[in-house]
Amino acid sequence: MPGLYTGTALFRLAMSWAVLAAGLPLLAVDFDRDVRPVLSENCYTCHGPDASQRQAGLRLDQEDQARHVAGEVLARVSSDDPSRRMPPAYLGHDRLSDRDISSLREWVEAGAPWSAHWAFVPPDPGNPPAVKWEGRVRNAIDRFVFRRLEQEGLAPARDADRRTLIRRLSLDLTGLPPEVAAVHAFVGDPAPDAYERLADRLLRSDRFGERLASRWLDAARYADTQGYQNDAPVQMWRWRDWVIESFNSNKPFDEFIVEQIAGDLLPEPTLEQLIATGFNRNHRSNSELGIVDEEYRVEYVVDRVETMSTVFLGLTVGCARCHDHKYDPISQREFYQLFAYFNNVPERGRVLRPFNSPPLIPAPTRGEARELAELDGHIAEATSEFRASREAASNQFAQWERSLAASGGSTDWYPRRGLAARYGFEGGLGDGVASGQIRYAEGRAGRALALQGEGHVEVRGIGDFDYNDRFSLGARVMPSSPHGVIVSRSEAFNTDDENAGRGVTLVLEDGRPRLKLIGRMDDWIIASAREPIPLRRWSHVAATYDGSRLAAGVTFYVDGLPVESVADLDYSNGGIRTTEPFRIGEGADAGSGFAGAIDDVVVYTRELGIDEARMLAVSENLGEIARLRPDSRTEGQALKLEHAFADMHGPRRLRTAWARLGQFRRAREALARRVSTVMIMAEMNPGRNTFILERGAYDKPGEQVLPSIPGIFDSSPESTPRDRLGLARWLVDPANPLTARVTVNRFWEMLFGSALVRTPENLGTQGERPTHPQLLDWLALEFIESGWDVKSVLKTIVTSSTYRQESNGSQDSVRRDPQNWLLSRAPRFRLPAEAVRDQALLLAGLLHERIGGPSVKTYQPEGLWFDIAAGGGYQRGRGNDLYRRSLYTYWRRTIGPPSMLNFDSATRETCTVRTERTNTPLQALNLMNDVTFVEAGRKFGERLYLEGGETIDDRLAHGFEMATARRPNAQEAEILRGAFERQLRAFRADPDAAKALLDQGESPAREGIPRIELAALSMTAGMILNLDETLTKQ
Amino acid sequence: MTPPEAAIHLTRRHFFGRGATGLGIAGLAHLLRAEAPAHSGLPELPHFAPRAKHIIYLFQSGGPSQIDLFDHKPRLDELHGTELPDSVRRGQRLTGMTASQKTFPVHRTWFDFRQHGESGAWVSELLPHTAGIADRLSFIRTMHTEAINHDPAVTLFQTGAQLAGRPSIGAWLAYGLGSENEDLPAFVVMTSRGSGRVGQALYTRLWGSGFLPSRFQGVKFRSQGDPVLFLSNPTGVSRSRRRMFLDDLMALNRIQQEEFSDPEIETRIAQYEMAFRMQASVPDLMDFSNEPESTYKLYGEDARKPGTYARHCLVARRLVEQGVRFVQLFHRGWDQHRALPEQLAKQCADTDQASAALVMDLDRRGLLDETLVVWGGEFGRTVYCQGKMTERTYGRDHHPRCFTIWLAGGGVRPGVTYGETDEFSYNAVSNPVHVHDLHATLLHQVGVDHTRLTHRYQGRQFRLTDIGGEVIRDLLT
Repeated sequence: MPGLYTGTALFRLAMSWAVLAAGLPLLAVDFDRDVRPVLSENCYTCHGPDASQRQAGLRLDQEDQARHVAGEVLARVSSDDPSRRMPPAYLGHDRLSDRDISSLREWVEAGAPWSAHWAFVPPDPGNPPAVKWEGRVRNAIDRFVFRRLEQEGLAPARDADRRTLIRRLSLDLTGLPPEVAAVHAFVGDPAPDAYERLADRLLRSDRFGERLASRWLDAARYADTQGYQNDAPVQMWRWRDWVIESFNSNKPFDEFIVEQIAGDLLPEPTLEQLIATGFNRNHRSNSELGIVDEEYRVEYVVDRVETMSTVFLGLTVGCARCHDHKYDPISQREFYQLFAYFNNVPERGRVLRPFNSPPLIPAPTRGEARELAELDGHIAEATSEFRASREAASNQFAQWERSLAASGGSTDWYPRRGLAARYGFEGGLGDGVASGQIRYAEGRAGRALALQGEGHVEVRGIGDFDYNDRFSLGARVMPSSPHGVIVSRSEAFNTDDENAGRGVTLVLEDGRPRLKLIGRMDDWIIASAREPIPLRRWSHVAATYDGSRLAAGVTFYVDGLPVESVADLDYSNGGIRTTEPFRIGEGADAGSGFAGAIDDVVVYTRELGIDEARMLAVSENLGEIARLRPDSRTEGQALKLEHAFADMHGPRRLRTAWARLGQFRRAREALARRVSTVMIMAEMNPGRNTFILERGAYDKPGEQVLPSIPGIFDSSPESTPRDRLGLARWLVDPANPLTARVTVNRFWEMLFGSALVRTPENLGTQGERPTHPQLLDWLALEFIESGWDVKSVLKTIVTSSTYRQESNGSQDSVRRDPQNWLLSRAPRFRLPAEAVRDQALLLAGLLHERIGGPSVKTYQPEGLWFDIAAGGGYQRGRGNDLYRRSLYTYWRRTIGPPSMLNFDSATRETCTVRTERTNTPLQALNLMNDVTFVEAGRKFGERLYLEGGETIDDRLAHGFEMATARRPNAQEAEILRGAFERQLRAFRADPDAAKALLDQGESPAREGIPRIELAALSMTAGMILNLDETLTKQ
Repeated sequence: MTPPEAAIHLTRRHFFGRGATGLGIAGLAHLLRAEAPAHSGLPELPHFAPRAKHIIYLFQSGGPSQIDLFDHKPRLDELHGTELPDSVRRGQRLTGMTASQKTFPVHRTWFDFRQHGESGAWVSELLPHTAGIADRLSFIRTMHTEAINHDPAVTLFQTGAQLAGRPSIGAWLAYGLGSENEDLPAFVVMTSRGSGRVGQALYTRLWGSGFLPSRFQGVKFRSQGDPVLFLSNPTGVSRSRRRMFLDDLMALNRIQQEEFSDPEIETRIAQYEMAFRMQASVPDLMDFSNEPESTYKLYGEDARKPGTYARHCLVARRLVEQGVRFVQLFHRGWDQHRALPEQLAKQCADTDQASAALVMDLDRRGLLDETLVVWGGEFGRTVYCQGKMTERTYGRDHHPRCFTIWLAGGGVRPGVTYGETDEFSYNAVSNPVHVHDLHATLLHQVGVDHTRLTHRYQGRQFRLTDIGGEVIRDLLT
């Protein structure tokens, strides 16, 4: 395949061939262009930056030494004596090529001049040169490109026609082709700035942000799952939407970078700035049972360093993880100095599953934020109404209090919402069933259950909690032994089954209340109160859990007050539900029973608040409280009285106000629970110490290092950034020689199919040299000076004559510049994976355009997940979810969407800034047979019938124009018509086939179109979707 | 019929079937010009005369227990229940599943071992069929790896690195050696699961192309729906209708090609033709109606059922007959942390006969010489017990330091047992074989010097064996 196996040498060869062919003198030897690559490729492994591999103490990557021994180097590489020759024959190296040797010779003869690697030197474009084709110059880009063409004896191609231009520009800036009406408008626009206005319009389109985001998601390895082993879901789409919005609002790219790297460290960061830091949490993460925590935590930090270096610096810093970089001046120490910036995240190596792991924040969308604010307003308003009505009811309250005190009744009150069960044992066991000998004892108030370490009360149907449910358990206890289960719904612990202990258990161990949430194997959360409760005295114990899957989500209350707790075990990555019954006073194991008295057992299906826990501990009923003097009541007692009054016994106005307040609070809680979270960056304080890891291994720490940027850049102690924010600001400092170049280089690649530096992932010494170094530098400076204005730099590029050339170049251009390195014509290449599908949906009228939101599950062949993954299968979405733009397609990292992967998309496992473009039979099968495209063909056919005019020729020509932005020529029109007629005849002979074809896909067929004709039109429309021209930007 | 003949034949059939429309003739002429540019490999390959043309890798995913299958350790009967000495464990890191275990009691195997064949190889009673062909196999007892968890361990075996992003071994071979058959992919993958527990997940990266062009990735043959994704025409589109569609599509693409001299257009036309041929060749391959009864005697009744390991072994033989370069099977379910005796027996029952049958079948057809068969998992299992010490329910954790795989055919010496392990089957005592060494050896057998099959990415040359790998010459004929 052309272009796949190119290297520097081949490139230079081709260039010089072009030069020779043009009869021009060869360019004089340039150290950085011609010599350093030879040294780097052939010598640096043993005589380069890597200290551990360095032979004879010689390094040829540093000016002094290299220039000193230049003559000797030349002698050794050109020696005929294999025992003297370098690189050594005994290591299997061949003699250097004649060309490489002659470059070295020229260099030595010129006095071995030295210059730094081009990418480490600040951009310096020089003046845009005057060129032969002044009339064609639209901006400085053209000067650099034309100058080069001139030198090579080539000429630029003509401007492409308007139809070609509008399709090219639309696909490039929005990822979708233009509507036919827009094509006609542009073709008929007589204004001299028609093209510029078109560019402006496309840059303003919301589709622009989606188009730009697609590439950024590849670089940022964005996906919807964790990426290891069972590959559970995560939720990072709020970050994805932030990216789209940033491009659409033309956020200056320096801010775009700073917010992603260190938004959390900005002063008083906004929600959006926090969401931005999700960039560094998009890496794969492992929740597999049995992994070593630190091993993976280190991997995450390494991934951040590698991604940051690739995306912003275009350097393969990751090579220095295990040893000094072999080619670039990055030592292993410097790698870990960068590592130190990203090493302070309060995170764990083994992440939770499914969904997000800390640090995370709820990230309401704009709409949700608005709703939340509205509810807050309602709550505030309801609160003041409640206060006012309570005040107005103070007489009634006093009266009620007096009557309560006088009545001597047993009226009581406790929180009822979410109450699943309550056992006071006054009238017996309720729906409970005694197992073993059950006795009663005197309780704190009334009767209590008395147990001697055996026997329990069994209840069916309550306590069926999972690890992400919220719940609360409580009881009044008087233990006579420090060990024993208070309540449980769990399996036996004492077995070798991997589900030993599965379920929920509230137990006393060493006198300390302890809550256990246990799943399979080591999926355990165990949290305990720090202090024991007293023996042979009544205490109230409650435990609440917030469903966070973290021990920190458990709160213990003793006698109504929150107490300090400790996390004994803190991993919960699997369900904990069990079919065991709920038991009071015992677990499933013999000998686990409680000894002493138990009373007032409660089970709530929600997390109780602090006031509620306090009231729950109050054993006195309302009458008893009322009889106490107000100033001798405990806070819990007073609260209970107040709540009872507002809830049930006060005047109507007060009760209504109370009920309303409760409603709004619950509505807010429910909404807040629905809000998606996003994983973000945060700093621990104090941070972790960072060590050089020997051979990159997590368990081989060596010397300690502090955060710092590599010495190749100015890293004096004053200028070295101290933290991530400093690092981010250094990345976008105009003095940084790389960030702007790397960025414009990738923009160039997006538009031209290959970048000015053909290795956009590597601008280091082993990367390719830019084909147009001055142009790259000019664009980089232009970008910085514009205030990192993305739309502006893109507009500059697309309005150049270079961009506007025809892709159908002259024979000379094709023959002498087959790879189009010199830009003697516009490029022609297949659309990216997303655009292939999005275009088909658009043409079919199926595309459902809506920005953002959770990822959607589109058509996917049955069983794709089930075949190789654990857990459930793929639950395809319905309706509009099937027709969203492809950047919203749910991305399971270990089993990516096949119709994306077939078209060379990144896998989203690691940062990818360049993918190869291939052309395979699987793509053909995909386009012909995937229901997405079959359905698109069918709906496209419908549109042609309804919108394309009256005759078949008109309809087909319209379809052709929709797909390619041009009218078919006579020959093409004849083939289209013939194709349609052949299909029509065949369907007439087999009407069932027509029906079967029109049944493909979920979208209903429009009524009133003759079926046979529609089937034939659908096949022909499908063929238009498969045209090389449709799939290609040209 | 050789592939080009097949193409011509197909075209003629289509042509005569279509009748004399002018386009049919044009279509034929174009088709004959458009020989599919099947990738014929890198020009410098093979580096030397290959011993084998094909590799079938029978990957046993989850980590089969070498102690209960191949690595016979009679002293464990005496040591049963004793603590594994620290001098043996030597600080080997443990998975999180047993790291909190307080004791590490040695557990003998529950199964009988016997020596088999003239070579006297030890095989347990769980694998009677494998035992029956012991003289044709070459056992490596001292495979070892660094990884202790499934994902990185399987990824290492398939791509030479624990982390994602590298090309799989099959992709390297498709890239380096190309395809022998224009109608089928060079690298085919099939996955199955046992009748016991479902087993560990797999990931498409295991047959991915990493940084190589995606055309070299493995093509998964499936047992549900289309054997290859999107292979079948939608209902309502017959083969002749598809032919018609392609002729017209090609005619339009030709016009475009005359306008633009872009070789990609030619390639696209050819790839649509290959897709069309695959639509015939793959179903042919999966059509078992002509397979004689004796086949099912050999491979077992399971081979009648799509999706089983036995069926996949049979498909593997057919693929190799068709010239497919690399066939990768994955069979899940070898992760016996608990209830090993029952679960392992099921796994063996699901796979033993078919694995042996494949070797015998290849041999009978004269294909074993040119086909290297590999059987093995991503690590072995610990001598110490995980969970409760009972003869029927004991389990074993992951063990990276030594485990057993076997090779057959493809120029590997049969009847050899290579490498010794200590009396606990915990450490290699002699001839340790790293994953990179195995890779180097596999590549060597197909004529590839593993240090020279490289691809430049991120400014350096990458290879399957990273910076390691020694060919195990003692194993080769």
